[in-house]
This record gives sequence, C-alpha cells and structure tokens, in this order.
Amino acid sequence: MEGGRAKEEEHDGVSVHSPCKAPPSSASSLPKEQHEVELELRLLEALEIYPPVKLRGVHRHFVLYGLMEFLQKSLDRHFSPDEVLQLLDRFYNLEVLKPDDEEIDTLNHEEDFCLPQSYFVKEEP
Amino acid sequence: MKHTEENVMKQQALDRKLGVDRSSKSGRSSQSKPKSSADVKADKEDQKNTAPKGRKRKIDSGVEKDNSSVEKLVKIQVPSTLKKHLVDDWDFVTQQDKLVKLPRSPNVDDILTKYLEYRSKKDGIMTDSVGEILKGIRCYFDKALPVMLLYKNERQQYHKFVHDDVSPSTIYGAEHLLRLFVKFPELLAYVNIGEETLTRLQQKLMDFLNFLQKNQSTLFLSAYEGSRVSEGKGKGNDE
Repeated sequence: MEGGRAKEEEHDGVSVHSPCKAPPSSASSLPKEQHEVELELRLLEALEIYPPVKLRGVHRHFVLYGLMEFLQKSLDRHFSPDEVLQLLDRFYNLEVLKPDDEEIDTLNHEEDFCLPQSYFVKEEP
Repeated sequence: MKHTEENVMKQQALDRKLGVDRSSKSGRSSQSKPKSSADVKADKEDQKNTAPKGRKRKIDSGVEKDNSSVEKLVKIQVPSTLKKHLVDDWDFVTQQDKLVKLPRSPNVDDILTKYLEYRSKKDGIMTDSVGEILKGIRCYFDKALPVMLLYKNERQQYHKFVHDDVSPSTIYGAEHLLRLFVKFPELLAYVNIGEETLTRLQQKLMDFLNFLQKNQSTLFLSAYEGSRVSEGKGKGNDE
C-alpha cells in the first residue's frame, strides 16, 4: 500500500510527502505495516478535529495538546509533543501553512479589559 | 431549572445530527461582558441538578467528533480569593488611578516555570501535557495582553515597557495573568477541541489557578503605584 491516501488534500498550500521512511519500531505484536496504517488513519481522524493549519497560529499549543490526547487515547500509548510534530512532518510541510484568517480577527480587535459584573457580586456561602 | 439546560443540550445534539449550524451569539463577540464562566456562575442556583458545564455544552462524551456545529465554552471557575484580587485590581487601576509597578518579579514566565516545577515534582515524568498547556498560556498571554487585557489607563505604561522584541510575559506578572483567565473561554472558543480533551484541559487550568491562589502572597502585589509622580505609595491594602 502506497502512501497515496495522504495525498488527497483539502488544505491549500500544503505539500504532502508519502511516508517513505521506515516506521519506528514498536513493541506491538501487529505486523509493522498494519501498525503503520493504523497510525496514519488515526492521525487523519485527529486532523479532522485539529487541522494542521491551526498549528501555525496562537492556539497551536492547545491544538497540539488536543492531538496528543487524541492519539494517546486511540492508540493507547504516550505521545510527546515532539513525536506528534514528527508524525505530522511526515505528511505535511507545516512551514508553508499560513495561520488561519479567523484567528487574525480574534486578536486584532483591540479593546479595554472589562471585568464582568458577576465578579463584583458577593458570593453567598 | 433543569428544563433549560437539558433542552438546550438535547437541541444541540439533534442539531449536530442534522448538521444544522447553530451560529447564534456566543462568547465570541468582543463585548465588554463576555459569556464566560462568570455569567454561568451567576446562574448557579439553576444548575444545581445538572453537570457543572457551561450552558452550551454538548452531552456526548467518549468519542471525539467534529464539533463545528455546536458552541462550546470551557468553563473556568476562578477561585474566590483570586476573584477578589481581580476586583481590587480593578479598583486600583480604574478607580484610584494607580498602576502595577513594572517590570514584575516574578513575571509570567517565572510563574509558569514555577508551576511546571511544582507539577513535575508531583507527577514525575509525564509533564508533557502540562508543558504544552503552559506554552499555550504564555502564547495567549503575549498575544492577548495588548489586545484585551489592559485597562485604558495602562496603555501608556505598556508602550513604555513593551517595545521591539520584548514579550509581555517577561514584564507583567500575576495581576495581568489572572485577567487572561477571565478571557480564556472566549479565546478557546475559536479552537475546536474534543469534549474529553476540553474537560482535561479545564482541570489542568483549574489546577494552575489553585496554584496561583495557594501562592498568592508571593505572586501578587498588595499595593499598586500612583501613576502621577506626586502620588507616592499605594494604600497598602493587605490581601
């Protein structure tokens, strides 16, 4: 099975490499190929929730955290932030992704800080 | 008032199934009164019988799905003594025309590092998640400070201390970091995060706030400085 499926892309400006590197050896009893396929599948699932483009913006650490948690849960092993990024690097060229436009709006609208009214209400025991 | 919560949640679950995009008003607007945890807390007597989530949360847990059609606001419960800090902070700056003396020590960077050390001692090796979250907090802080964390009368001071490549997290401290947590739900609303992950994230943020509370005497200022030269000392409010 080729890495062809990784090439179907909905993200612009992304160049995709097939995973031609040998997968890291794991203690799993599954044949390496099958393990690799599962990894790829889970990653693609994860990326539906956490699109790579979000890894370029101000939310990137929370997105990465989300990816870590998702992969850990679906593959039942620990993933460090670096491992996740390396994994992504096999499929995406993160450098060419531009930050989300939506985000540029969030944090460009300057406003004075305002403490919500409820903070001024005395709490009853 | 169970019906409100349950009906809203059922509606949201149904909408999701039908693929309806409920883009009603959310905490995303930059109004002065965000629909943050603060508002939810004000209604707290209504929520006694329901799960303590924000009123727009979904009911599904388990599998993480695409949440694009559902609003979610993570609920961040600021501990009460920290709330008091925020009120005093408001009072000092907006009512007494005083300012936090900059640069702060410890600054935001220091505080985040201290917390990571504290957590590492407690948890041992697995602090990857915490580390990433703390980086996220720093990132939010640096970006958000000039945009939404300053009172009007602090802007001049900001321009004086933060210029070129200086990061706000090296200049400001707990007082301003705390304000970030008021805004946190709004910021996170722009990121799609799975339900379970959001819950875990919320817990970790709460743990961080509890750390701030426990260490408030060393992290927070008890008095601010007059912004005018003639002002001299602050009122010496003891926290």
